[in-house]
Amino acid sequence: MIIFTVLSVIFIVGGLFFFTTATIGLLRFPDFYTRLHATGKGDTLAVFLSLIGIAIYEGITLTGLKILLIALFMFLAQPTATHAISRAGIRSGYKHWTRKDGTK
Amino acid sequence: MVFRKEDIIVSTIARILIPFIQLYALYVIMHGHYSPGGGFQGGVILGASMVLLLLTRGHDEAKYKIPENMVITLSSIGVLIYAGIGFLCILLLGNFLDYSKLAVLLHVDPAHARSLGILGVEIGVGFAVMAVMYSIFLDISTGGVLPEDEEPEEGTEA
Amino acid sequence: MNVFFLSVGLILCILVLLVLYRVVFGPGVYNRIAAISAVGTKTLIILLIMGYLYDRVDMFIDISMVYAFLNFIGCVAAAKYLESEKWMP
Repeated sequence: MIIFTVLSVIFIVGGLFFFTTATIGLLRFPDFYTRLHATGKGDTLAVFLSLIGIAIYEGITLTGLKILLIALFMFLAQPTATHAISRAGIRSGYKHWTRKDGTK
Repeated sequence: MVFRKEDIIVSTIARILIPFIQLYALYVIMHGHYSPGGGFQGGVILGASMVLLLLTRGHDEAKYKIPENMVITLSSIGVLIYAGIGFLCILLLGNFLDYSKLAVLLHVDPAHARSLGILGVEIGVGFAVMAVMYSIFLDISTGGVLPEDEEPEEGTEA
Repeated sequence: MNVFFLSVGLILCILVLLVLYRVVFGPGVYNRIAAISAVGTKTLIILLIMGYLYDRVDMFIDISMVYAFLNFIGCVAAAKYLESEKWMP
């Protein structure tokens, strides 16, 4: 059915767009904590949309349900990993970036 | 490693996810015939789930749930299952690990007995790999000395 | 559909190469760990797309799920190790 293929292409292209913006943010932001914002939020949403797109293309089989389980796991686990590493940065005294520092 | 006060977010998410990771590891062990997996890969995932329990809960609760004596015993039980199945095939007048001779014990035809024999060996390998991975991580993270055994030293350290 | 999947895979490979710049040149160890987690997330999608190109998806799904588990556990372990005072860059 052609409608499922078009819907899956829309979801995968949306996921690719968020991957691109997350990578540009990871390269251009001035500080460690701001880079964590980019990769923690952008990557999670991009993976979620891409996996839903692939699951729609596959249809309702055992493989499609497994792909949805991977998407649910990534939605729970990736923000937790980001939280853990930012807490490690604060606990060891990593200083924030202020505008008076100028460009890094 | 320094285990300070535990984190509540990571601890709650780990408590939710650890049973499902272990269930998936059992699936990987059982489906070694048809998809990538088998004994070693499933054992590694089981060991990793125990390492996650140790990381997010600290030494006291991990020692209460997974005692160190049980871990060392489990690794020996895994090797015993592997060698035991091989030796059982010798007792039934075959070569070492010749699973077709197990057909008389299980009342199935020899091809079926080969499949079940490989499954039993993979389970033994899974036990051994899981126990060794957790034991190695426990030794490295504490430096060989558990926190309750340390004597408070006075003066400078050596 | 194969051409679409191939182009998506190639763009994701170029994105992984761009993130590797932050792995090599990130000042300090914290930037490197965040970048490694991002590389792992992109690798998960590349594995599934390769499964479609070779027409054997049911083999690549188990591998990608295991990689998602290990990525999470590795990031949490590294963050727990780096919580002491002596890792200031």
